[in-house]
Amino acid sequence: MAYEEVKVKKPLSLILLPILSVLTFFAAWELVVQLDIVPKTMLAAPTQVGDLFVAKLTDPNPDGATIFMHAWVSAREAFLGYLLALGIGLPLGLFMGWFSVVRGLARPIFELIRPIPPIAWIPLTVFWFGIGLWGKVFIIWLGGVVPCVINAFVGVRMTNPTLIQMARTYGATDWQIFKTLCVPSALPMVFGALQIALACAWTNLVGAELLAADQGLGYLITMGRRLALPDMVVLGMVAVGLAGAAIGVLIDYVERRLLAGIRR
Amino acid sequence: MAELQENIQGLGRQGSSIADEVQQTVREKKPLTIRRIVTNEYLLHVVSVIAFLLLWHQAAASGFFGGALATPWQVLVRFEGLMTDTLAGLTIWGHIWASAQRIFLGFVLASALAIPLGLFMALNPYVNAIVKPVFDIFKPMPPIAWISISILWFGIGEPSKIFIIVIGTFVPCLLNSYNGVRLIEPELYDVIKVLGGKRWNEIIQVSFPASFPAIFAGLQISLSMAWTCVLAAELVASRSGLGFIIVQGMKISDTSLVIGGMIIIAIVAWISSMLVSGLEKTLCPWKRDIAGL
Repeated sequence: MAYEEVKVKKPLSLILLPILSVLTFFAAWELVVQLDIVPKTMLAAPTQVGDLFVAKLTDPNPDGATIFMHAWVSAREAFLGYLLALGIGLPLGLFMGWFSVVRGLARPIFELIRPIPPIAWIPLTVFWFGIGLWGKVFIIWLGGVVPCVINAFVGVRMTNPTLIQMARTYGATDWQIFKTLCVPSALPMVFGALQIALACAWTNLVGAELLAADQGLGYLITMGRRLALPDMVVLGMVAVGLAGAAIGVLIDYVERRLLAGIRR
Repeated sequence: MAELQENIQGLGRQGSSIADEVQQTVREKKPLTIRRIVTNEYLLHVVSVIAFLLLWHQAAASGFFGGALATPWQVLVRFEGLMTDTLAGLTIWGHIWASAQRIFLGFVLASALAIPLGLFMALNPYVNAIVKPVFDIFKPMPPIAWISISILWFGIGEPSKIFIIVIGTFVPCLLNSYNGVRLIEPELYDVIKVLGGKRWNEIIQVSFPASFPAIFAGLQISLSMAWTCVLAAELVASRSGLGFIIVQGMKISDTSLVIGGMIIIAIVAWISSMLVSGLEKTLCPWKRDIAGL
């Protein structure tokens, strides 16, 4: 290694404080509910949520599916929408960045669709696809495709012009420049897009399921509200948050492995 | 590149002879061929918009979608009517105002809380050690997941919608002001130290102004998040606002109302994001490019 890692000693209080603060947070939450400062109809204590989680592992009542079935339905929708968004958004963005014809044709339509939040498509989607799997996939796709296109586009546009000029001097064709210069130099931005699109996908999934669903984690939350069971609402929120965090960590790991040699 | 050309033009106007020469080389015209006309970007823009509208019209008129797609013309007529007629007691302007008001309140509230907190976290390791772990617990949770619990807490009135917007905009605001300060080049601090400044000078003269662009990037993200949140909240439960318009259209199977509502949302969201970038340009004219942050 060319450099030595300098180890800075953290003061003990800085190591302990985060742990303390999380503990205090959960303790306060538990106490607020247990001591009836907040009515039990409005918030469930962490322990209640834990109990419900254990119960929901096997018991499909009262919302018709176990927690894993909900999670599986949601994950499948999110995954399909996400993959489609990557598959269409990234190539489109890359092409838009380099080929002016593609840019000229695709840009106005993209700019028309971009400011509409994917949530606003829900009613139209319900008309077109019903409340099944593909409606939600469509919503997630819409949410994911926008950051994919933008990031891939910006990534290509940020290619070092000197490199492009050099390639031209050596007689490279447009396609060769695109393939060997623009795409690799856009990769870090593309990976940024993977993260953003995933976060979008997850947000929109919950939105889509709030409105039109019969299974899934978002549906679990909605049912919790309809049945006035705050523990179910919180369980759904925690499950969505945990799953999102887990996928985020996974992508981070993949990104670090793949981009090991690229300087940011 | 565009900036460079502007500079060159600016110099040219002052009558500097060297700049004139540079301008001549930069502005050399390519010969006008058919290929160049056909591949002109602006022409392609026009072509693509017209093709889009025609396709839309054809798809709607052919009945392939059944009643599930209105033609552009129907949408236009429907909305001309709504300018004066009322839907649930409000004209279209009233609904726009209802949504905009919610966004504004939630947005201001969240940024007033999140930006100072983010700055504090970045400047003081102890504040960071206390707040960051709790914040990290909430961060991956999509704001829309909060809708149910906010309805349980605040009912279906205004407070629950503003709460959702605050939750949604809080995270990007805080993250960006936090990262904005942390990613400042240490050289800038060194300058203050060399000039004999105190910690306070560092904060006022470096940390704040240098984090501005990042904060504004966060505000832009927050704004689009706020639109998503307000729509979701209005879709779930409301009697006014743009989300209400489209969900009403869904309930009475009025596609032109739904599509028109979406277009209005797009326009209003676009205008609001223009407002924020306008504010950004006035407040930090030195803005650097922070893409990839």
